[in-house]
Amino acid sequence: MRRAEWDDEQRSYSAIFLVGVGLLLAGALWSIWDDNISRRPWKKYQAQFFQLQIDRARHAVLDEERRLAADPEYQRVLRDLSAAAKKLASGETARELERLRKALEQQKVRTSELDLDLRIVKSRIEEAWYEYDHAILTGRPAEKARAHLEELEKERDGLAAALQESEKKEAEIQAQISTVEAEAGRLEKQKEAMEAELRRLRQRLAGLTLSVGPFQFPKVPRIEQVVLGEFDRGNFDTPLNRVDRCHSCHAAIDKPGFEDQPNPLKTHPHLDLLSHHPVDKFGCTPCHGGQGAAVNSARQAHGEERFWDQPLRRGEMVQASCIQCHRDTRGLAHADVVARGQTLFEELGCHGCHLTEGYENLEKVGPSLRRIAAKADPSWLVRWVESPPRYRPRTRMPDFLFNREQAIAVAAYLLDSSRPESEQWLSRHPEPEGVDPGDPELVAEGRQLVETLGCRGCHGLDAGESPASLGANKDIAPNLSAVAEKTTPRWIYHWLRSPRDYSPVARMPNLRLTDREAKAIASYLATRGAPKAEPAAVARLADPAAIETGKSLVRKYGCFGCHDIPGMENESRVGVELSAFGSKTLEELFFGNHTDIPYTWEDWTYHKLRDPRTYATERIEQQMPNFHLEDPDIRALRVFLKSRADEKIPEKYMADANERGRRILAGRRLVHRYNCTGCHVIEGRGGDIRAFYAEQPTMAPPILNGEGAKVQSDWLFGFLKEPVPLRPWLQVRMPTFGFSDREATILVEYFAALDHVETPFVHIVSAEVPPENIEAGRLLASKEYFDCFSCHQRGGQKPEGPPEGWAPDLALARQRLQPDWILRWLRDPQAVQPGTKMPSFFPGGPEDVLGGDEDLQIRALRDYIMSLGEPRALLARGPSQGEGNRGGAPGAAAAAN
Amino acid sequence: MVRKTLGAFAALALVSGAASVSGYEAGPVSGGGTIAGQVKFQGSPPAPKPLEVTKDKEVCGVTPKHDESLLVGPQGGLKNAVVFLTNVSKGKPFASAKPVLDQKGCQYIPHVFLTPAGATVDIANDDGILHNIHTYSKKNPPVNRAQPKFKKVIQEKFSQPEIFEVRCDAHGWMQAWVVVQDHPYYAVTDEGGNYKLTDVPPGEYELKVWHEKLGEKVQKVSIQGGQTATVNFELAAK
Repeated sequence: MRRAEWDDEQRSYSAIFLVGVGLLLAGALWSIWDDNISRRPWKKYQAQFFQLQIDRARHAVLDEERRLAADPEYQRVLRDLSAAAKKLASGETARELERLRKALEQQKVRTSELDLDLRIVKSRIEEAWYEYDHAILTGRPAEKARAHLEELEKERDGLAAALQESEKKEAEIQAQISTVEAEAGRLEKQKEAMEAELRRLRQRLAGLTLSVGPFQFPKVPRIEQVVLGEFDRGNFDTPLNRVDRCHSCHAAIDKPGFEDQPNPLKTHPHLDLLSHHPVDKFGCTPCHGGQGAAVNSARQAHGEERFWDQPLRRGEMVQASCIQCHRDTRGLAHADVVARGQTLFEELGCHGCHLTEGYENLEKVGPSLRRIAAKADPSWLVRWVESPPRYRPRTRMPDFLFNREQAIAVAAYLLDSSRPESEQWLSRHPEPEGVDPGDPELVAEGRQLVETLGCRGCHGLDAGESPASLGANKDIAPNLSAVAEKTTPRWIYHWLRSPRDYSPVARMPNLRLTDREAKAIASYLATRGAPKAEPAAVARLADPAAIETGKSLVRKYGCFGCHDIPGMENESRVGVELSAFGSKTLEELFFGNHTDIPYTWEDWTYHKLRDPRTYATERIEQQMPNFHLEDPDIRALRVFLKSRADEKIPEKYMADANERGRRILAGRRLVHRYNCTGCHVIEGRGGDIRAFYAEQPTMAPPILNGEGAKVQSDWLFGFLKEPVPLRPWLQVRMPTFGFSDREATILVEYFAALDHVETPFVHIVSAEVPPENIEAGRLLASKEYFDCFSCHQRGGQKPEGPPEGWAPDLALARQRLQPDWILRWLRDPQAVQPGTKMPSFFPGGPEDVLGGDEDLQIRALRDYIMSLGEPRALLARGPSQGEGNRGGAPGAAAAAN
Repeated sequence: MVRKTLGAFAALALVSGAASVSGYEAGPVSGGGTIAGQVKFQGSPPAPKPLEVTKDKEVCGVTPKHDESLLVGPQGGLKNAVVFLTNVSKGKPFASAKPVLDQKGCQYIPHVFLTPAGATVDIANDDGILHNIHTYSKKNPPVNRAQPKFKKVIQEKFSQPEIFEVRCDAHGWMQAWVVVQDHPYYAVTDEGGNYKLTDVPPGEYELKVWHEKLGEKVQKVSIQGGQTATVNFELAAK
């Protein structure tokens, strides 16, 4: 025992210690290495980037130096400058300068001495004043103090004069010096101006490096991070900050000039996006996904890990992020794919079957079927239900893949359920007399009307013609090439006269057709196609069993998602909710028997949209109809669906979460619903009908860019409710859409919001308009000057010549136009509406009116034009009659048809 | 020095018109040749349609107006066709006369108006009523300027070679064509369909004829010094 202890004491452990120390050291070194190098890949990238920046800045400096060295002008300045400096430093000039400098020095001393003395005297005056004041207040004799004060004040005045004198002398000497040095000074300034760029580049280079004594080093890499306050929500809905460190590696992302570098040192391909979404405010992950806080590896940072819910969004999938902050992506730069998806989603009626947050209250996209029996040819209806694209390849109606039996059953139910209302409607709308597809003259007249009234803003006339498209292969409104196969001339006639009379939710507007016009058009349309009777199918439509089957099919497939169907008013949507579809994990997606489709959300969704029943198996039935979408539309919808995510963006990060954003979104939806852009260009988009007016663009419907800034809101409201022709030369006719007050308000607010009009109402007090302005305006508008009424109507007074040469009624301006807009319009009409017939009169105003001041002339013209619609006549008649005179002039109201 | 360069540049621009923009080099031509010929209308000539004067008749209706878009002389000569070289890079300078487009009796005179690119064009209004100059140009920015009674002359500049239409929106029938030339070898045919291009430096050229209604045709032509090459065109209704 003792022996053993002794042995222990005797034994040397140095070898073990040595090994231990070695291991510890190695461990320590490894941990330092690992901590600083292998787990910090961003250091390498940042160091690379710093070096790259320094190299480029250095090159720029060298290039600039070389440029200056080769610039003869700069060299000349340098030579002249050194010659001038030499001249100043030698001979008589140098001595003179020396003398002047000395004199200046002395004069400066003298000035400061005087200044000091003056200040001292001023303080003493304060003191003397106190003495004097105090003497008076305490009732002591003040004469002595008074005398002292006056003496001091005299002294002060003397000193002030001397100081002024001395300062003047100083300035004189300075001026003398400057004269002597003038040449050198001028050259020095010239040199500095020429070196401005070089100085800037040198400063930039200095800013990129760290200077320690005479040495310069690249900056030390560090984690760059942006904190997005309360961007995320925790498990208990607690606000969490989000941290983005992406630009620790992507160091050049917001710096122009590195477009040619490989990632991660590349500049963002759309810097214009970053200027709206500065990295230090928005970070990267809100748009691109990924794991912003991770910095250990690119894979982790990009979130491409099994259990990270938001992997990097690549390619067009990034656009799914746009719509998470911008409720409406249409018109947004670089968001074309998601905008297309959004429009398709709304216009294909996806929301009819799938509850989707933000899209719950949209109107049904299909026509009402309450009176379908009064409209549809029964044989056609069976064929249509069986396969909509067979009759109309570009229809929005999806294909339910019904067999003949099912199609007959559905048609039977639709006809049966709509029978009572249909018969009622038919009893009030008899067969019109004079509709005759056999009358070639009438048919030709009808065709002419269809081609000129503006029907083609929405409808294609010939097979395949599609003026207004939705996505790649859908029409906004039905193509009319075979309309006679589908319905009767009787229905067409009454529909044309008043679409809302047949269906209160009709999108088709009322064109205010005369009886003759409606008959001509109905006759023409009745020649487009012909009914194809199928007696065998029709015979079965009254079969109660078929009706019953049809009812259950309609219920099962959810036809009421898009159509108003009698008896189905209280059914709920048949599809799954899509509010958080974009966050679905692979476990939640059923791939059926497919082994050929890659296991990703993107692939599942793509194939679902391309062939909606592709995941059906023997046991799992699928009901979604086939929309026969083309690849770009499928991809666009997929991007839109990806945006329907679990996590919601906090209000403060939303782009359009304000009143203006809401108004624009609501307006755009209405514009889509009624296809205003079929005829008008709005927000720079649409105007499809203009394709037919390539030769005569002035005969096309007006462009409505900037309409909110142009017209007065109350006028627009009235016009939308009850359009009156403003441009008598147009054959195309603004229809009456039958907007509800709410709809018209939404549109008025939409136009105002687009142009940032905050005070939509205008009231002109005639008494405040200077009468001399109106007189000058009247003179300018007269035949002697601008001759405005050569083209413009003025109430009932029409211009000479045919109506196609006329211009809008200036008597309407007071009610219709924004006064400020008229100023912009007169100043440069082409800038406000490129291509307008209105010529520019300015610059070019006459010299002899208002002193040739064009701004005054423009104001005078505006005031005069606004005075034309002045309700003077109303005042004479008394207020009771004046209320209804919206047109302003008696002729305007009469011209409405 | 900058000023000197600018001065030289301005002098150069004066000498060559602004055609220097398109790369045409102007200078004296000695020993040039001439191209002359006739443009004929193929087919039976239509009678020019009278134009209806619908407005300002006391000024516009004094002389009867005819559609000038297709004027054919007694021997089938086509008036108002433009004949020009398409591939000339060097040659004579532009004539010094200032181009004037006149509005007289509510008609543009001439109906086809030649002007060097970049030259200042005088647009005259002799009518004492409101006209406007509305160009339907593609390469030049479109112009739509009013020319009221008190503006007897206004100036305009077209810098890009192009042929485009001019219309007056106040008088729907008034219409003319402006041919902005990149070099001086352009000619408009007279009543007999005749044209002549002089002082063409010897060489091989492409000669094009353009007519507002009848389209274009191209022929090759070879010029020898001091000689006249005759090139005739025939255009048929499209």
